[in-house]
Amino acid sequence: MTWLEGTIPRRGEGRAGKKRGVSSVMKILCQVGVIFGVCWVSQVLESLLPFAFPASVIGMVLLFLLLAVRVLRVEHIQAKSDFLLANMAFFFLPAGVSILNYLEELRSAAVALVVICLVTTVLVFGATALSIKLTLRLMGRGKGHD
Amino acid sequence: MIEWTTSPFFGVALSVLAFWAGTRLQKKTGLVICNPLLVGILLVIAVLVVFKIPYENYNEGGALINLFLSPATACLAVAIYSKVKLLKENWLPILVGCTVGSLTSMGSVWLLCRLFGLSDAMTASLLPKSVTTPIAVSVAEAHGGISSITVVAVIFTGIFGSIVAPFLIRLFRVKDPVAAGLSIGACSHAMGTSKALELGETEGAMSGLAIGVCGLITVVVSMFLL
Repeated sequence: MTWLEGTIPRRGEGRAGKKRGVSSVMKILCQVGVIFGVCWVSQVLESLLPFAFPASVIGMVLLFLLLAVRVLRVEHIQAKSDFLLANMAFFFLPAGVSILNYLEELRSAAVALVVICLVTTVLVFGATALSIKLTLRLMGRGKGHD
Repeated sequence: MIEWTTSPFFGVALSVLAFWAGTRLQKKTGLVICNPLLVGILLVIAVLVVFKIPYENYNEGGALINLFLSPATACLAVAIYSKVKLLKENWLPILVGCTVGSLTSMGSVWLLCRLFGLSDAMTASLLPKSVTTPIAVSVAEAHGGISSITVVAVIFTGIFGSIVAPFLIRLFRVKDPVAAGLSIGACSHAMGTSKALELGETEGAMSGLAIGVCGLITVVVSMFLL
């Protein structure tokens, strides 16, 4: 997931480098605690909500709010978050492998699946691009561009 | 020998090894199609099939890796927060573009699924396929979809989107980097974003933002659609 690399400000990196040993190990442990804690609260919230709203997305919103109101600062969860984001693709590997259990379903719908993916990708790109072009023009920013 | 594979360490080690091999392959070939996740999935499946290892044995370790998905998704918030300035400056085009993009995606997928006569489970699996994998999988699961089919559809869409992105930019005459980045992110999430980053910094950041915003819109809209 290359888009995430280099996008996060690396404050406090120098300090963390010097203080190795027990304190930096504890730091990582606390970060794991904070992030997993947020995830646990999200799961509890998900089970309380009367409609289907994914817990991981609740976690994302919660974490964003905690950052926005400055209860948490980015450096509080930086190291763990970098680790999770940089390895995001890997965590999906078992989910992909579980396709083994659905080969029948997949075989019967393979053509449909490929066609749907191809057609909708082009449609979505076109619709998004045109709507933004229109918005920018209405805002008076698209002038001279097209 | 098969009973040795019941240890969770087996599944974790095999997954890491397969993913590492995929990463190496992409570095060597430089091809988008050699996506490490895709190669890793195929390698693990090949090992399980060739050595007749039951899926349940692999999943002892696989379930452990799965556990990290939810925290990783939550951490997308950190990535979005670090771009909060760009978000504020362009909030209107972002909101309009991502709303239109998400609605087009779900609407067209839903229509095509009906046209092909696919089951409700398949429709629920494909509906969120334009957003980033963690959100797509959560949406699919919440509505009775099959998460592995969602993963395959999301990867396929991402690879296709990142290959055709430069061509689509010319086809739709997109000259504004904000519009180009958002469109790429809306149709092909993180894999497209890696392509957008090659086109420029604004394109990359906008594409990254579109992942989060489209993801949220998709979650909300899918609650009404399914």
